[in-house]
Amino acid sequence: MIHLENVSKVYPNGTEALKNISIDIQDGEFVFIVGTSGAGKSTFLKLLMHEETATFGKIVVNGHNLMKIKKRRVPYLRRTMGIVFQDFRLIKNMNIFDNVAFAMRVIGTPEKDVKKTVYRVLELVGLKGKEKHRPGELSGGEQQRVSLARALVNNPKVIIADEPTGNIDPERSFEIMKILADINNQGTTVIVVTHEHDLVQEFGGRILRIDDGEIVEDKYLKTKYHKNTVSINNANSEINFEDDLSNGNEPSDNKNTIEEKEADA
Amino acid sequence: MKFSSAGYLIKEGFKNIWNNRKMSLASIVVLVSCLIITGSASLISVNVSTLISKIGDDNELTVYLKYDLSDIDSIKIGPEIQKIKNIEQCTYYSKDEAIKEYKDTLGNIYESMQDEGNPFGNAYKIRLKDLSKYNDTVKQIKQINGVDSVSDRSDIAGKLTKLNYFVTLVGSWIVLILGIVTLFIISNTIKMTMYSRRYEISIMKSVGATNTFVRIPFIIEAMIIGLFSGLLAAGIIIAIYTPVRDAASGIVRLINTSTLTVGDIWLQTLLLMSGIGMIIGFAGGFISISKYLKKEGGEIIGW
Repeated sequence: MIHLENVSKVYPNGTEALKNISIDIQDGEFVFIVGTSGAGKSTFLKLLMHEETATFGKIVVNGHNLMKIKKRRVPYLRRTMGIVFQDFRLIKNMNIFDNVAFAMRVIGTPEKDVKKTVYRVLELVGLKGKEKHRPGELSGGEQQRVSLARALVNNPKVIIADEPTGNIDPERSFEIMKILADINNQGTTVIVVTHEHDLVQEFGGRILRIDDGEIVEDKYLKTKYHKNTVSINNANSEINFEDDLSNGNEPSDNKNTIEEKEADA
Repeated sequence: MKFSSAGYLIKEGFKNIWNNRKMSLASIVVLVSCLIITGSASLISVNVSTLISKIGDDNELTVYLKYDLSDIDSIKIGPEIQKIKNIEQCTYYSKDEAIKEYKDTLGNIYESMQDEGNPFGNAYKIRLKDLSKYNDTVKQIKQINGVDSVSDRSDIAGKLTKLNYFVTLVGSWIVLILGIVTLFIISNTIKMTMYSRRYEISIMKSVGATNTFVRIPFIIEAMIIGLFSGLLAAGIIIAIYTPVRDAASGIVRLINTSTLTVGDIWLQTLLLMSGIGMIIGFAGGFISISKYLKKEGGEIIGW
């Protein structure tokens, strides 16, 4: 579970990236974080990963109080989350198997378990048979799937994906989002930062809009991809997100209309 | 860090050298060059000191006894001279030996002088342990009853002492300065290596690697590079030592007899060079990676 209470982040140059944010993300939620560049989305993720520390407030992630966490405990916090980056961040000297296995070796998993799990996860993301390839030999979409496999391999409580489809074509983007939705349906919390409104509209879930360091919208959009209903109780509202975006309009702030988008059979 | 990770981390250290072979090669070239320069300067300094020390050892003094002193009284003075702490060797040199040597040297000229009898008194040939204490020792010898005079080599003693001091001082400074320059060059090489690997470090941290887990393969890698460079530098120095020494002996003969042979230096050179190489690798790797371990995420990569 993720809990933020009156969290603010002011950078040394005076930029107030986040302003008094309070939010709870329950286990098993599928959350999109949307907003314009510089709105504070990246800072939000950095606070969750403890790459940055909040200036004020309280943050609890998977049982770790990030305002009090000791430096040597930070790696153990990160092991509860799988992180997917826009630029994949794969080690080019390692083959695909080792790139994924790396996350398991870091936590001291015995080698026989590493082998078994890595092959299984690579199959899950559709990369069976590519184990011996180097990242440079794969397409952008495939590299992102390797990154996703690495994030999944330790069975984390939460997957944090920062613009996971930013460097790949629309078709591959859909595949990546589909995998993330499937993972979520198995109970893992998934948080995705994205600019791509089409994907948000298609996959739905809980949608947090950040603007100028504040959460200006927190709503739920039900789609066929989500079996979990945990978000419905948590979000402030449920809306028909499709209407706002298809008309080219930004969704209105703090809407309280409850208009559930039924899954399209 | 779990014990099961140890084997993996050591293996990674070795693998990293090959995976980053261009930077590894650059580091080895820099380290070998620096170690050869510093090692050669050290060897030159040690050899010059040895040479000067040997010249000092050969610097024999003569203690002249009073002309009218009987042979028995002359022999009794020997143990008294030997009692002085700074005396390394003391050999009796009778007036008969002196005149014989004189005769051998002068030949015919001596024949024309033989009516004048033996002009020499008895004497002792002595060697000092420490040439720098020449004046004090001579003063003590002169206080012995029956001693007439001591051959005055104070100028040579002073010069050799000064030269030895100068060579030691200058040699130490040269080695020190070269050592500092070496450290700067090596530190920059390691920084460049780390910079090229910063991406990898950020990934390791993002998947939950502890600082020890990130650090160990880098340190092992740096130590192996250091050890290999040390062995290579020592090998090169040992290989060229004898030809260089022989060439120098052709110019100054004394070098052949008064400096260290390759047999005297090979083991120390090998051990010192490989030890220093490993220490430099360990220290350089440890310090450089610590800089990146303090940073987080994009800060490591510089975004």
